[in-house]
Order: sequence, then structure tokens, then C-alpha cells
Amino acid sequence: MIAALALVAGVVAGLILRPTVPGALEPYLPIAVVAALDAVFGGVRARLDGIFDSKVFVVSFISNVIVAALIVFLGDKLGVGAQLSTAVVVVLGIRIFSNAAAIRRHLFRA
Amino acid sequence: MSAPNSPMRPTGATRAVSPAQQLVDLVLNSHDPGYREAADRRQAAGGVLRWYDHPATAVGSLLIGFVLIVAYIHTNRAAPAAAKTHDSLVQRVHSAQDTADRLAARIAELNAQVNTVRGAGIGTGTLADRLAAAQLAAGQTAVTGPGLEVHLADPPVPKPGQDEDREGTTPIGATHLLTDADVRSVVNQLWADGAQAVSVNDIRITSTTSIRFAGEVVLVDFQSVTTPYVIRGIGAADELATGFAASAVAARYQTQSSALGIEFSFTERQKLTMPAGAPVSLRYAKGTTK
Repeated sequence: MIAALALVAGVVAGLILRPTVPGALEPYLPIAVVAALDAVFGGVRARLDGIFDSKVFVVSFISNVIVAALIVFLGDKLGVGAQLSTAVVVVLGIRIFSNAAAIRRHLFRA
Repeated sequence: MSAPNSPMRPTGATRAVSPAQQLVDLVLNSHDPGYREAADRRQAAGGVLRWYDHPATAVGSLLIGFVLIVAYIHTNRAAPAAAKTHDSLVQRVHSAQDTADRLAARIAELNAQVNTVRGAGIGTGTLADRLAAAQLAAGQTAVTGPGLEVHLADPPVPKPGQDEDREGTTPIGATHLLTDADVRSVVNQLWADGAQAVSVNDIRITSTTSIRFAGEVVLVDFQSVTTPYVIRGIGAADELATGFAASAVAARYQTQSSALGIEFSFTERQKLTMPAGAPVSLRYAKGTTK
């Protein structure tokens, strides 16, 4: 409940502030998005499993973003940034999908 | 609910797992083991809520919502920017066209003044008549009279839903068939059939008017004209129609209109009106007699 409200509050804050993404951070935006979605789905799944933990939730989100960003940053320096960015998105995308599948199993028992 | 995950728990260090299996685990076992471990630890500690649980969840969710909406805004902000650029370009083209129209009107106005002043200077007589005739022949005056109107248009662009293909998948070459050569051949045919004045989309064709093609656009006298092309010729309407109907040009477009879908038709008109053409300024040709 708190999480949902805070999520909405974050959306509203973003809509009000309308921050511009600096050019230097632009390549990391897709990574941040998939990491955020991964954290949401992982959190919801853990909540349904009854093992949700706030520390794990926050730390996993932030560390996922940072690690993914570092990988892509390193890739940018070595000239494979776009490919690594795709790799990160694919890995996190698979996680999102299977988490969504687990949530579906929880909710619909199917 | 942990049972389905147990074979894939990567926490079991004792189990020898092949690297391939690890990869499969990584992909298939999306469940973050951290949640399970944290839950176990908390169970051991008595399962009480810590003071930071709610705030941490709230802050994390806030952050996630913020990131998602920032990405959304960022994505959608770029689209209006492209539209804005497009609009500003269109606006610039329109304002340039307005300027050109204004200047053309000014030219017409000044030409009328010149004619008045000259008429007053020359008076009436053979000289004035000869001048008027020469101006008429050179396309320097607006004219009216009976003639032939030829209508030539590209096939319509398929609308989405009408076709299996989406809009935009039709190559430009399939719908933009007509080029300067087509307009020019019709114009030349009208001249050949005895037209005394010709216009394309209300741009008068004089002896020095160019009909060119630049970037998929037909330029007549350096003004862009688009499909449908309406080519008018003033002359003896019957003769024009007969001559044009019998010409190879008409036969070609009849064939193309049935084969490729271009629109082609010509009709006799009792009254056609054309504006004056742009002033002819000969830069290289010099008169040999005075």
C-alpha cells in the first residue's frame, strides 16, 4: 500500500518537476528503466511470496542501476556500450518477464 | 511457496553446477535469492518490523516511479521537438512563398505602371499596337481565351487499412511517377498543336520558362508545383483537342493511366485565364538588327 502510494507520488513528482535528463546520462536511461521495472516486479513477487524485505528492495534496485550503468559505462569506453546496454536490457527483461510469470501464477494459480 | 524454486537456488554452494546450468539458472530463476535470505534472517530475529522498513519501501518506490516517469517524459519530449522543427520548416517555406507572392504582385503592379507610362509616352498608333502584340506574344500580359485543359496527376497514396501494407511501406517511386519530363512533354505537345499561351498550375510558360525536377518536386519557373498538374493551353479549342488526342503524348498517358493508375484527362474549355509570365531577361542573346 505504502509502496503503491509512493510510486504514484514519484510519478506525480516527476510530472510536476519535469526534469531534463542531462545528455551525459541519456544512455543510462533505458537501463534505469528496466532496472526500475525489475525492482517493481521482483518486489511484488516477493510480497506475494510473503518474503518482501524493504532493505533488499531498495538495495537491489540501486545496486542494479549502478552495476548496469557501470557495465555500460565501461562498454562505452571500450566501444561496445550499445551492445552491453542491449545485454543488460535483455537480462533484466528476462527477469522481469519471469517475475511477471510468477506473479501471474500467484494471482491466478495458472 | 519456495518449493518450486528450490532446485535452482544458487545459494547452495555445495552443489556442483556446470557453468551452462548457472546460465540457465540466471535466466530461469529470476527470484532474487536476497529476499529469501533476508526473510530467513528476519525469521531468526523474531520477525519484527524494523524502523526503516516502511520509509525504505516508500523511498524506493518513489525513486522507481520518478525514474519511470522521467523516462516517459524524456521519450515524449523528443517527439514534439521533431514536430516543432517540422512546423518551423513548413512555416519558413510558407513565409518564403508569401514573400514570393508579394514580390510577384509588386512586379505585376509595377509592370502595369510601366505600361501606363509607356502608353502615355507612345500614345496610340502603330507603335503601341506593335508593342502590345509583342508583349502578348512574349507572354508578358495576362491572357484569356478558349483552349484545352490537361489534367495529369500521380496515383493516390494508399491509405492505411485500404491496403495490406501499412502507410509508408509503399515506396515513393510507386506513387510519385510523374516528373518534369511528363509536364514538359504535355507543354511541348500543346505548343506543337498550336497553343498560343500555356500555363502549368497557373504559372505562365514563356519562351524562357524552365521546367525542372529537384528532389521529387517539379519546378516550373523555379516555383515548386505538385500533383495534380493542370496544364492549360489557349488556342483554337477544337484543333488543340484533336491534335492533342492524336498525339503520342496523349497515347502514352492513356496507357499509363490504365497501367499505373495515374490520372489523365483533357477537356476543351470555352474560357481559360492565365496570368502574365515572369519578365524575360535575355542575358546572352543580343539583337543583331536595331
